[in-house]
Amino acid sequence: MTTKENPPASAAQEAPASGDPSKAVLKRSRRDVLRSGGMLSMSSLMGTAALMAQPGEAKAAVEWAEHFQKNYRLMTPEEKAEARLRLEKRYSGEYNKKVSVDITEAQPGVLMGYALNIRKCIGCRRCVKACVEENNQSRGARPGERIEWIQVLRMERGEFTADKMNQGYPEGLGIQVGGNAYSPAGQVLEGQYQYTPEAVPEKDANYMPIACMQCEKPPCVKVCPVRTTYREADGPVVIDYNWCIGCKMCMGACPYWARRFNLTTPVLPKEDMNPVTHYLGNRPRMRGVVEKCHWCLQRTRHGRYPACVEVCPVGARKFGNLLDPESEVSKILARKNVFRLKAELNTFPKFFYFYD
Amino acid sequence: MKRFAVPAAVLALCGAAILSVLAQDKPAGGEAAAPAAAAASAPAEVICFESRKGATEITQREIKPGLPNVKCSPTTGAALWYADPYEGTVPMGKMPQMEAIPEGLAVVKPRSEKLNLLAQCGTACHNGTYPVGFPKTNRPVPIPTMEALLPDAKNLQHGRGRVWCLDCHHNTKRNMLVDHYGDPISIDQSQLLCGKCHGDKLRDWRDGIHGKRIGDFTSTGKKRWFTCTECHNPHNVQDGARNKGFIQLQPETPPQLPRGFKDAAFEKTHAIPQH
Repeated sequence: MTTKENPPASAAQEAPASGDPSKAVLKRSRRDVLRSGGMLSMSSLMGTAALMAQPGEAKAAVEWAEHFQKNYRLMTPEEKAEARLRLEKRYSGEYNKKVSVDITEAQPGVLMGYALNIRKCIGCRRCVKACVEENNQSRGARPGERIEWIQVLRMERGEFTADKMNQGYPEGLGIQVGGNAYSPAGQVLEGQYQYTPEAVPEKDANYMPIACMQCEKPPCVKVCPVRTTYREADGPVVIDYNWCIGCKMCMGACPYWARRFNLTTPVLPKEDMNPVTHYLGNRPRMRGVVEKCHWCLQRTRHGRYPACVEVCPVGARKFGNLLDPESEVSKILARKNVFRLKAELNTFPKFFYFYD
Repeated sequence: MKRFAVPAAVLALCGAAILSVLAQDKPAGGEAAAPAAAAASAPAEVICFESRKGATEITQREIKPGLPNVKCSPTTGAALWYADPYEGTVPMGKMPQMEAIPEGLAVVKPRSEKLNLLAQCGTACHNGTYPVGFPKTNRPVPIPTMEALLPDAKNLQHGRGRVWCLDCHHNTKRNMLVDHYGDPISIDQSQLLCGKCHGDKLRDWRDGIHGKRIGDFTSTGKKRWFTCTECHNPHNVQDGARNKGFIQLQPETPPQLPRGFKDAAFEKTHAIPQH
């Protein structure tokens, strides 16, 4: 236990500004009263845990300060910068490398949109793994320790046949719908996620990747009791992990099965950790919070494509600025056949499926 | 909001107390495993393919301490993650109807130096003169001498046999392709050749709808464009009987099974009823 602390302890040795109660600036809000009161009343309770926690006071103080910070949306720019420094220090110590935590806001004139060509997708799942590499998901082997935000759904192809021409439902009542009615021609199984063929694409299958649709009217945001999840001005729905209480209401509300819950402490090997992070994006999560796709905010806020777009071998995934008529997504919306998943739910996703 | 915030903070506090205690032994195990893994992978050079096997490849190296330029999939050997999307690229050069893109913003990865046979073809046999017995017409014929060199030549599946070597390759400059006027074009600009027939695909490729690009997503940003032959094998473009434009690949591993399930049989228990 004692051998491993040396680099983290030295990196995090300087006490964070807001971690020390004696340095706390006097403020008038109810939350700050709670904060100072909590410091006194809870310190004895936390003291034992802090003593047992080995990197010592620095890490304990950082966590202490993290627990008492505001909802990210209510923070002033100074508080955001403070939170950023605090996290950078802690992560750099924990992962033995220089970790940056970006707090770039939504850029003016950018509204992100995503398009996916379902005729092109070959079901190779490279996007799934790229997402894990980029976004620091948990990648353990025990149950509940592996988290993937994208899922690729395999659907078997059916067919229309001439001998079913006059068949329909219900049979024998004289009311026939006819013309292959009610035979599941496009699909003969519910979707499969666990397919393991030697090679993809298979002859009789279609593939449909799903992830967060970044809805314009997101049900998950509506139900969040602590308002930790919300839409950013440039489109993506994000989560302030520090404010999440893990109630999983959003997971129940999401019609696209796009959210994942950290049931265990995330397993993130130090050497695989991606050190370029965003506060609302891929910074390492804690146990007991919900996480989801955020279109790689740490990349897209600086103009870079999301990780899943960059690795798709067939170029089925497209990303762009919906406000820019020259962008790829705008051209797809203008020119191709586009649909949105579960459009009848009026969630208005900014993720468009298309085919040509 | 405030009503929820107070219990939330208390919950978080208690959780943190437990977490900080539990977190103790976690990193120790990870640390022990890390040097072993690093020692095993250090000596061998890791090369992964980008879009399809046999086309562009990329060698893994460190661009910063602990940060590789690319991550390769341990199961399939495919490139999984780019830290530097522009590595080894050169400006794409002039393209018709793409004059608006400033020089240097559209880059491609040259493959011509990787194709070993090219230098040979230009010097050894086809040094600008037709060999003896060379067919005088464009009728596709079997080429027994080339089959040993190019396994692709045996099952040329382009245009269902209507296309043959010299429809694409320049007849005297063997390491070049040929455009509509019979002028040579670089093998790194295969889109100029492919667009001769596949004009609709060329238009979509130019507008970013077809094909793959990496780098900057804004319409004015710098991008690495993937040219036609980085994804499609021009000699076997229909992939045999499957009649598809993209060759089959080994998929990555499936997601973790739900808790309590031994295999994926549960996925097949919900067949849609047939009437």
